Amino acid sequence: MNTTMVNIKINGDNHQASQNATILDACKRAGIKVPTLCYMEDVSKNASCAVCVVEVKGAKSLLRSCTACVYEGMEIVTNSARIRDARKTSVELLLANHPKDCLSCLRNQNCELQSLAADLGVKEDRYVRTKKIQKCDTSSISIHRDPNKCILCGRCIAVCQNVQTVSAIGISGRGIKSKISTYMEKGLGNVACTYCGQCALVCPTGAIVERDDTDNVFEEISNPDKYVIVQTAPAIRVGIGEAMGMGPGSLVTGQMVAGLRKLGFKKIFDTQFTADLTILEEGYELIDRIKNKGKLPMITSCSPGWIKFAEHFFPDLLGHLSSCKSPQQMFGTVAKTYYAAKMGIDPRKIVVVSVMPCTAKKYEARRPEMMGAFDYWKDKRAWSSEDTFYDVDYVLTTRELARMFKETGIRFSSLPSEEFDSPLGESTGAAVIFGATGGVMEAALRTAYEVITGSPLANINFTAVRGMDGIKEAEVDLNGMKVKVAVAHTLKNARTLMEQIEKGESPYAFIEVMTCPGGCLGGGGQPIPTTMEIRKKRAESIYAEDANKPLRKSHENPNVAALYSEFLKEPLGEMSHHLLHTSYQQRGLFVWKTNGKEKKELKAPIHV
Amino acid sequence: MDGSRTLSQEMQEIDAVISRYKGKHGELLGILEESQILNEHKFLSEDALNHVALRTGVPLSRVYNVVTFYSFFNLKPQGKHTITVCRGTACHTKGSRTLLDDLGLILNCKKELDEGESFFTTPDNQFTITTVACFGQCALAPVIAIDGIIYSNVTASKLQMLVRRISKVRKIHENH
Repeated sequence: MNTTMVNIKINGDNHQASQNATILDACKRAGIKVPTLCYMEDVSKNASCAVCVVEVKGAKSLLRSCTACVYEGMEIVTNSARIRDARKTSVELLLANHPKDCLSCLRNQNCELQSLAADLGVKEDRYVRTKKIQKCDTSSISIHRDPNKCILCGRCIAVCQNVQTVSAIGISGRGIKSKISTYMEKGLGNVACTYCGQCALVCPTGAIVERDDTDNVFEEISNPDKYVIVQTAPAIRVGIGEAMGMGPGSLVTGQMVAGLRKLGFKKIFDTQFTADLTILEEGYELIDRIKNKGKLPMITSCSPGWIKFAEHFFPDLLGHLSSCKSPQQMFGTVAKTYYAAKMGIDPRKIVVVSVMPCTAKKYEARRPEMMGAFDYWKDKRAWSSEDTFYDVDYVLTTRELARMFKETGIRFSSLPSEEFDSPLGESTGAAVIFGATGGVMEAALRTAYEVITGSPLANINFTAVRGMDGIKEAEVDLNGMKVKVAVAHTLKNARTLMEQIEKGESPYAFIEVMTCPGGCLGGGGQPIPTTMEIRKKRAESIYAEDANKPLRKSHENPNVAALYSEFLKEPLGEMSHHLLHTSYQQRGLFVWKTNGKEKKELKAPIHV
Repeated sequence: MDGSRTLSQEMQEIDAVISRYKGKHGELLGILEESQILNEHKFLSEDALNHVALRTGVPLSRVYNVVTFYSFFNLKPQGKHTITVCRGTACHTKGSRTLLDDLGLILNCKKELDEGESFFTTPDNQFTITTVACFGQCALAPVIAIDGIIYSNVTASKLQMLVRRISKVRKIHENH
């Protein structure tokens, strides 16, 4: 990076900017706000929206500040009648084809187009609609797309293509017929989409949103025949505060528990309990693979987007995936077997709701193999296929939980701090850090080290695997045995490590993969906006929570130990094998063929 | 007539095209263009697109973006005969809209044309109707082209006669 500075003038004042900086960067550095829409730091700048235009002396037309670079002596004006008029016109033209149903949109009050229209002083609906009403894509169980709300900024494509290397969507057609499409308009549910939800996270409008399950959950809670319990993922406690109007990365574990209790859940449990359980199962699986010359490197299986990615793009390497279910699924199974038996509750009446920072979890919960508890009970109780139930009934994203809090009138920031319920609410610091990239690795190392060496760990902080680098490496000495490990977040980085394995060049024994940038704390179900700066703040809170926990190693969790002694017997044992481990499918790219029949779930638009 | 050619044969031919273009600049466009030409009905079937994506490693969505961007690519089978109606300004003022409507009536596809489709193939795969912005023959407006031959000063009755002639020729061919 060239750091030569150039002298420029912005609105008549002298400023300096580095030579390669865009006008937008230079203005930001000078503390001058230039409105943007299609531009998104680290994700996309395709100069399609013409909102960030500025005047440059000598230039024939207005320049788009997100792509035009500064030069020595450049004179920039960011605010003039001409600029205001141009910006406003750009937005008005976008609004011409944008449905005006803001009041019933999931992104109401959290929409960049809406706030931009307000900021730029749009006062009337000046232009007529030119586009036809298009069908919505509800083929995916996780993510819904409404092309009518789309302004073709291209952020979703950029994140899908460049950050995740999935390319499930692209711009089809030309001119007025341009739209964001899946291959042959098959819909997200019928193409190789990982359901990671990063597209929903970067969408400036309500064109891509999570499938909303809040009404279903409200209904279950108010059903007196049901025993509705909730589990919360580690990343929720550093995300839900933001969604309720608090600062980025606010750590609100206690308030979150109190809020959930007010919503009417019978028991407030923690996915972190089964995160600790995952570490034991996965740790023993790793040790078993190393000792018995099993398939290495072993790769973590907590992140459902990553699992789907591997099934689509690396179907021949699925043997490298740990067979452990994710903590969410382990929780569902444990709740409807161990907990149901312990409390004497009919497992058919238990409704497990999970709150996840993730849209792919909605899909994971509906994978047909995720019925471990039903399989466990059906022979014992002679149940028929009419009694079937999933281990996890509903998955809510952080954003949906925030919606439920608001709908119930819960004043979140003034809630007292409350504790999780026992026994499935107990967790260690090792489980907290599952929410950040590198956390599962660190948690696994804390346990693996002590199990293998039999001696306590001197320093339990494996800082080499923390932080926002795309691929992190470390080498650990386990009783004389040197083990190389790697941590990747985003599917692009996962792909790099997979290609290494494909070529037989992977030097690692154990790899952690998280689908989303920053790990779960930057998940597709987290509050919007989620930028790198915000991710870092959430990570800080995660590690602070870990440091404050009295117990910080998964194998020290007393309730997990009790679960083993009372029910599962031993890690990797017969019972664990049936309840806590799973298998994967070779899906490949042509999903609509393997889906059996081509789903025709492209329904009519919600608004006409 | 090459009607007996199987799908796998077509895919083999596409493979040959792909290996010819391998590593060349802009290979995807070239591969798609040739793959379309070697298809009997001059279109890119879904199987062909799947095959191209699989063999080139280009994401399916990008293949789809490319074929929907360029009007040259057809995603539906093309008719044996192509009738192109000029919709340029001169032809429009001389009644080319009516000619298009007439074609819709004659070939029984008025509904599709009314819905704004500027491109349509009859279900029997005999005729494809398209429009162009201008043939550069404005003095002879309205003009249409049938299989590349331009007809000038077209009236409703002339159009009917031309279409009937093609259908008749076809019938004679079929009877022999």
